[in-house]
Amino acid sequence: MRKRSFIACLLLVASVATAVYATDFAVVVNSSNSVKSISLADLGKIFKAKTTAWGNGKNITLVLRDPSSPGTRFIIEKVLGSNFDEGKAILSSPGRKSTVPVVFAESDDEILKIVQGNPGALGVIDVYNITSGVNVVKIDEKQPFDPGYILKGR
Amino acid sequence: MAVLLACGVMRAQDQAPAPADRGGAVIATVPVTTKVVTAQRAYEMGMVHREEMLYIDEGLDFFRESVQADPQFALGHAALGYFTPDPAEARRETALARKYASSASPDEQLLIRWFVGTKNGDLVPAITAMNDLLAKYPLDKRLANLDAEWLCSNQYAYEHGEAILTRVLQYAPDYDPAMNNLAYCYALSGQPQLAPPLMEKYVAALPNEPNPQDSFGEIMRMLGNYPAALEHYRKALQINPDFVSSQVGIASTYALMGNEKQARIEYMKAMNGTKERSTRLGYRMLWAMTFYRENDLARGRAEMLKLDEQSHQAGLVVQNAEIHRTMALFDRSPARALRDLDDAKSDLLASKKLLAGDRDLELATILQTRAFIAAEAGKTEAAQAALKPLEAMSQTSRSIPIQTSYHAANGAVLYAKGDYAGAIAELQEDAQNPLSLKLTADAQSKAGRGADAQKTLTQLAAISDERVEVAFARPQAQAALKKEMQQTAQVGGAH
Repeated sequence: MRKRSFIACLLLVASVATAVYATDFAVVVNSSNSVKSISLADLGKIFKAKTTAWGNGKNITLVLRDPSSPGTRFIIEKVLGSNFDEGKAILSSPGRKSTVPVVFAESDDEILKIVQGNPGALGVIDVYNITSGVNVVKIDEKQPFDPGYILKGR
Repeated sequence: MAVLLACGVMRAQDQAPAPADRGGAVIATVPVTTKVVTAQRAYEMGMVHREEMLYIDEGLDFFRESVQADPQFALGHAALGYFTPDPAEARRETALARKYASSASPDEQLLIRWFVGTKNGDLVPAITAMNDLLAKYPLDKRLANLDAEWLCSNQYAYEHGEAILTRVLQYAPDYDPAMNNLAYCYALSGQPQLAPPLMEKYVAALPNEPNPQDSFGEIMRMLGNYPAALEHYRKALQINPDFVSSQVGIASTYALMGNEKQARIEYMKAMNGTKERSTRLGYRMLWAMTFYRENDLARGRAEMLKLDEQSHQAGLVVQNAEIHRTMALFDRSPARALRDLDDAKSDLLASKKLLAGDRDLELATILQTRAFIAAEAGKTEAAQAALKPLEAMSQTSRSIPIQTSYHAANGAVLYAKGDYAGAIAELQEDAQNPLSLKLTADAQSKAGRGADAQKTLTQLAAISDERVEVAFARPQAQAALKKEMQQTAQVGGAH
């Protein structure tokens, strides 16, 4: 960032030199939700509305950013394993309201507010926006920044 | 300089007034608690010097003073562990921060979690803690600046860093550290044209401080404007002749300009002006690298060997590894180069002083360099041997640099095997590393993608910083581009 003592710079250059810009996305749930980890397959079932409620009986609501944003596009493709248009069609189908409703929010802040206020909500946000108001859920036992984490964006 | 409001067990009796907004209302900032007044005062001075005035060594000394005054001052240990360039000190201090954290106030504990977590790779709790603090202290500009600096320089999360700093400058338009960091964030994110106007403001805001001129010099050097860089560095030294980073800036600018003799004179002045032993060794390494830059490989190696001895005796393990890595890169004998890297690896693994994260990061860098040298020499087996442990590390480490080193080394192996398309895809994961850029250009050229190779070489030739990788690879890119231009001109002339 600014001037540093040289050796800090020297050590940092090793990391700067080998780094790329990458944003991981975090799956977040209401803090009352005891789910700590979910498999990618089960996450896909929620996205497809094949699973509609949590183990505690709370109905699931899916909260994502605008589907046209690059991040959401990436998330849809990764979780559903399909191309974006197919995924978007699944999330936008009229029957969703009675199964797993999908809320498209304007910002990660809005997603956080919705998830904090809805015990059944599941949101996906940029990992740099997480707060203690929600719980971060692992995917296939991996959390953001872990090697092999599926929602590692770019 | 703004001073944090301290509201702990005991407050410094002669502390500066709490920060206030334009209407005079007190601005809430993260509390700093310690039973020892001098410890709290030293911590505050450390933050002012290290984070705001950018007197790096002095800032570190204040943090050390703070934990000497109160050995159980968890936040002081955490800050020192975060900022120190000495890996052994980082390890010791982060351990002490953890040990005493429970006695700190809840909000301090969050800041400690951030300091320690970002250092150790526990990023999810660290980010959570920082975001909670920012929500609770939305006008704590120092806190926001600290976070944004980390986001831009360590995480390459430029959009986040820029957003935070832009917000800081909306509610605190005169907060000069944010101007500085936002300018760097723009420069690092590929928008350097946005940086100079911020630098103008930064210089105007602090006409009697050296760092604005120093930063302006670095930005101009990044833009390739060496005369302007030298001018700004000199202005910084006119303001404060002891501002060593500007002295190094002048030296490195001369080195990048190819005037190695002058660079050595200037580096020597920098060495004489610093007392921090690891910093001084770093400057000495840059001094020795000038011999490599002017292609005097024997002298370069001889000087590095002297530093090898010094760093070994001083227990500076990472620096020692970097010395071996430098010698390896510039060695024309691949066999000897690989032996140098083996030495570096052995010393690193034998050391008990390092944080695991620091050790693994340096180890990954060594293995990546090994894969690069082996691939260039056509030693596929040696490249694969370097890749294997890196692959294992990448499967267990959350470190982005380690992941990237793995991809770069894999790219080197694929290059050695003649799979140029695969190599290019992997090497492009490491697009800021001159070694990977060089190999990418070679692979593109061999794959018949001459125009792409030219673009990659142009990108490489434009890098203007002090890294050993730049000293090694940039001249080769510049020479290749020059040769290409001459050939093009000859063909044009023949027609």
